[in-house]
Amino acid sequence: MEKMARVTTALGGNTITGRTMFCHLDAPANAISVCRDAAQVVVAGRNIFKIYSIDEDQFVEKLNLRVGRKPSLNFSCADVVWHQMDENLLATAATNGVVVTWNLGKPSRNKQDQLFTEHKRTVNKVCFHPTEVYMLLSGSQDGYMKCFDLRKKDSVSTFSGQSESVRDVQFSIRDYFTFAATFENGNVQLWDIRRPDRYERMFTAHNGPVFCCDWHLEDRGWLATGGRDKMVKVWDMNTNRAKEIYCVQTIASVARVKWRPECKHHIATCSMMVDHNIYVWDVRRPFIPSAMFEEHKDVTTGIVWRHLHDPYFLLSGSKDSTLYQHIFKDASQPIDRANPEGLCYSLFGDLAFAAKESLISSDSNRKPYIGDRRHPIFFKRKLDPTEQFEYISSSSALSVFETDLESGSMDWFVRTAKQYALAGRPLAELCDHNAKVAKELDRDQVAQTWTMLRIIYSSPGTVPSANLNHSLGKGSTSLPLMNSFNLKDIPPGIGNESRLERSKGESRSENILMDSSSTLINNDENEETEGSDVPADYLLGDVEGDEDELYMMDHENPHAEEQEYILPQEAFPLRHEIVDNPSALDHLQEKADSPHVSGNEAETVSLTPVESFSLISISHSLYENRLPTDFFNPIVRDMLLFYAEQGDVQMAVSVLIVLGDRIRKEIDEQTQEHWYTSYIDLLQRFQLWNISNEVIKLSTCRAINCLNQASTTLHINCSNCKRPMSNKGWICDRCRQCASMCAVCHHVVKGLFVWCQGCSHGGHLQHIMKWLETSSHCPAGCGHLCEYT
Amino acid sequence: MGLRRSGKSSIQKVVFHKMSPNETLFLESTNKICREDVSNSSFVNFQIWDFPGQIDFFDPTFDYEMIFRGTGALIFVIDSQDDYMEALARLHLTVTRAYKVNPDINFEIFIHKVDGLSDDHKIETQRDIHQRANDDLADAGLEKIHLSFYLTSIYDHSIFEAFSKVVQKLILQLPTLENLLNIFISNSGIEKAFLFDVVSKIYIATDSTPVDMQTYELCCDMIDVVIDISCIYGLKEDGAGTPYDKESTAIIKLNNTTVLYLKEVTKFLALVCFVREECFERKGLIDYNFHCFRKAIHEVFEVRMKVVRSRKHQNQMQKNKRATPNGTPRAPL
Repeated sequence: MEKMARVTTALGGNTITGRTMFCHLDAPANAISVCRDAAQVVVAGRNIFKIYSIDEDQFVEKLNLRVGRKPSLNFSCADVVWHQMDENLLATAATNGVVVTWNLGKPSRNKQDQLFTEHKRTVNKVCFHPTEVYMLLSGSQDGYMKCFDLRKKDSVSTFSGQSESVRDVQFSIRDYFTFAATFENGNVQLWDIRRPDRYERMFTAHNGPVFCCDWHLEDRGWLATGGRDKMVKVWDMNTNRAKEIYCVQTIASVARVKWRPECKHHIATCSMMVDHNIYVWDVRRPFIPSAMFEEHKDVTTGIVWRHLHDPYFLLSGSKDSTLYQHIFKDASQPIDRANPEGLCYSLFGDLAFAAKESLISSDSNRKPYIGDRRHPIFFKRKLDPTEQFEYISSSSALSVFETDLESGSMDWFVRTAKQYALAGRPLAELCDHNAKVAKELDRDQVAQTWTMLRIIYSSPGTVPSANLNHSLGKGSTSLPLMNSFNLKDIPPGIGNESRLERSKGESRSENILMDSSSTLINNDENEETEGSDVPADYLLGDVEGDEDELYMMDHENPHAEEQEYILPQEAFPLRHEIVDNPSALDHLQEKADSPHVSGNEAETVSLTPVESFSLISISHSLYENRLPTDFFNPIVRDMLLFYAEQGDVQMAVSVLIVLGDRIRKEIDEQTQEHWYTSYIDLLQRFQLWNISNEVIKLSTCRAINCLNQASTTLHINCSNCKRPMSNKGWICDRCRQCASMCAVCHHVVKGLFVWCQGCSHGGHLQHIMKWLETSSHCPAGCGHLCEYT
Repeated sequence: MGLRRSGKSSIQKVVFHKMSPNETLFLESTNKICREDVSNSSFVNFQIWDFPGQIDFFDPTFDYEMIFRGTGALIFVIDSQDDYMEALARLHLTVTRAYKVNPDINFEIFIHKVDGLSDDHKIETQRDIHQRANDDLADAGLEKIHLSFYLTSIYDHSIFEAFSKVVQKLILQLPTLENLLNIFISNSGIEKAFLFDVVSKIYIATDSTPVDMQTYELCCDMIDVVIDISCIYGLKEDGAGTPYDKESTAIIKLNNTTVLYLKEVTKFLALVCFVREECFERKGLIDYNFHCFRKAIHEVFEVRMKVVRSRKHQNQMQKNKRATPNGTPRAPL
């Protein structure tokens, strides 16, 4: 051991040199420890216990302490520690609960010195006192910590962790009597070595076991702990109550922590599972490690800084049976690979952008985007003089761009959604209407698209009818299939209006229903005789909008043979489309059997706004008779995809609905469904429930169609006994009374039923509305202050 | 024990009856003391007493001395999502009374339903409860009582782990078992080994390396898989036999070069090991070591049986129902 005397302290003149190097061990290492001269390292594991000397460019095996023929369990080390005062003194903790001390100064081959067999279970940690030569502390799985005086045969004192397994014990560097112990239940205890009966302080540090702790080398109040909850926490123990001052979140449970010498805020960690790397963190920057060593192929089990005052050399042992010396020059720095620019949107559309200062300043002549104000906030990090590798520019700038409230608003979306007509009228009319809506909102391209769609689709193949229209000279070229309302019987204004209402999808309330239903019924009655257009339309393979409308009317038709098609989806009669799907063959056949002859389109009355036709009439005649509609399908499809790409899914869905079958086959189901769901989602965010429901109804995807059939159950209370109604129907099974009586007119409510959640009373929508206009109390007289919003 | 609706019966159902956590929502609240024998396993045969929360068992008509005298551990469940002040008062009362009757009881506090809390909040809650409970005891001059705290939830494996720890404390042979496992794994090149109680999936012992949650969960899942498959294919034609018997063994290779290896130890215990693929090439060695290990466990078991028998004899003589080492009647929940 003469060589050992050669090296005194590294700082005493000869600085440590070396390179990143490794050597193969024969077996996995469990722990490593260095001699205080930084020239030798001891590696211990289940099947290994060796001392290596650290040369300039290699490790050299110096001594194998596992001697003797018969392998004893005492050699199966869980931990090893080299005394920092005495170069000849080592201690190991064995898995069978034995603490062994070794004296390298012994002349014989077997250097084993003393054997303490006091622990019943595995000893997880041994620790020498930093200044006292003969004092050794051990922490075991059985929940006890024992303090040994190496001059005595037995332990001096025993500290009970109250049956929780001890994972780590560490003497405080500065405080002579204090040591910290960490436990499997997440607690950390501070003990005074003189008081074995009770801990001085205890606090819960982690959720789950705390595997390790380390006192700060300079700042004596700081204790770092690492646990299974993947966190490294730094505690300030100076205050009365342990205060968490830093917290680093790692990606795997933390097996070891070691403060980096000479760097106040740096700490090295390695993990217990999954992750094989060693990280050095700056605790003030807990999101990205400041350095990373990636050499190991398996879990790192022991890390130790080579010298107490040298921050550049790190030794590590691993389960992959290697011993490494890492030097900081070769460390990989994740910060290099990290993108130094950050971009984030706030809830209200503000945009924050952080980048390196240099980038920002060079760009400063560039205009800020939409922002009307710009707040650059600069913060500079103070450079730590001890940090050798801090060559990354550490100053960055944060700019916040506030959104112009107007420009970011989705007003156009809401208005468009409300005003678009999607069904219920002939295609051309829908297109015209939508074009107009778009135009009003200054969305010229969209308007143009609608107009073009009208041209493309509205009168293909309908030569005779188109001609008819032309010959009529009414200018309504695009309306060859205008439906079969006999508007003679009703004032055209009303019909028009009611239809508009419907297409807007805004007002479905019952009073409007009632207003318009009378006119509709008129229509329906005429339907029987006037339905002659429909078969013609269908045979021509044309506008379904018409048919839809007709079917809708059919459903309201009180004729017996058609009753069976009425699906009572809701409690009150629907006046809008129940079957949007033209694939309801029964209807079609029935219609086709109708004895009426086609060809009386001349009778149709144009409802189109007159100003929109002139644009089209010329182009209309250009392609007529020459190109089939399908010719344009690919273009239209591309157009839809384009709009969807652009983020205007509204347009894509609207066109899809309006064109219906013409374009549907061109676009695959999934895309369609995707569009529908996006649009519906958007509508719902803007609280346009009616419209979103309309879209759901009009969609042809089955997955979408069933959306509004989910969670249609309403749970209500009985208005008499105030208990929840359990069974189906309207009779409360507790008080045997009908629960759905209108509180105003005392009749059973059929149709829209409004119900106060506070007092369980309710009634007809109109009645309640009317009542609450004049009174704020519940009409049932229960005294509840009902509110109608 | 614990306040009503804190989750006592749910814990019992999930751990010992394999009820899925979601189903526990539909459990009726317990209205009488349920005593249940969990004598399914050779190492843990104890009774669980499920106390209804609303019972005031310090009622003079209630013989709580009889209950606590034979108790090994008292589990007190606190609902962490609720206001726990009342629970703490109740805890204090229970602990002090029980301690007077039987100072050897382990007091285990389950801070339950933590699945709804954030990580920071969990620790904060635990710290708060810990602080208050210990302060109360200190005020009463009972610092000697040690309370163990566990954060538990039935929606993950934390409840199993907590229960494992509780049970392990009651097993006197734990150091022996742990040492056996340590020797076994170090000589066979195994990463980690658990000794499982097959039915409840709590681990009776493990080696001294730290328990990782994922590892434990994997092992639990493996037991489930083995039992399920064995139920389908392992039974005899006539449906006789049990899904878990002497022949039970299973190997599952994971795609991260790890092998899971399950072997039957006793009728109720299974050994589940994590082995590296390269170490698993020496399966013969592992099997031989396992054979020795199994023999050793059986020896431990036999010693215990003798102890139990002699104890029983003594008990009859003294007409005194003292706790037997492992047959500790345990845990009023």
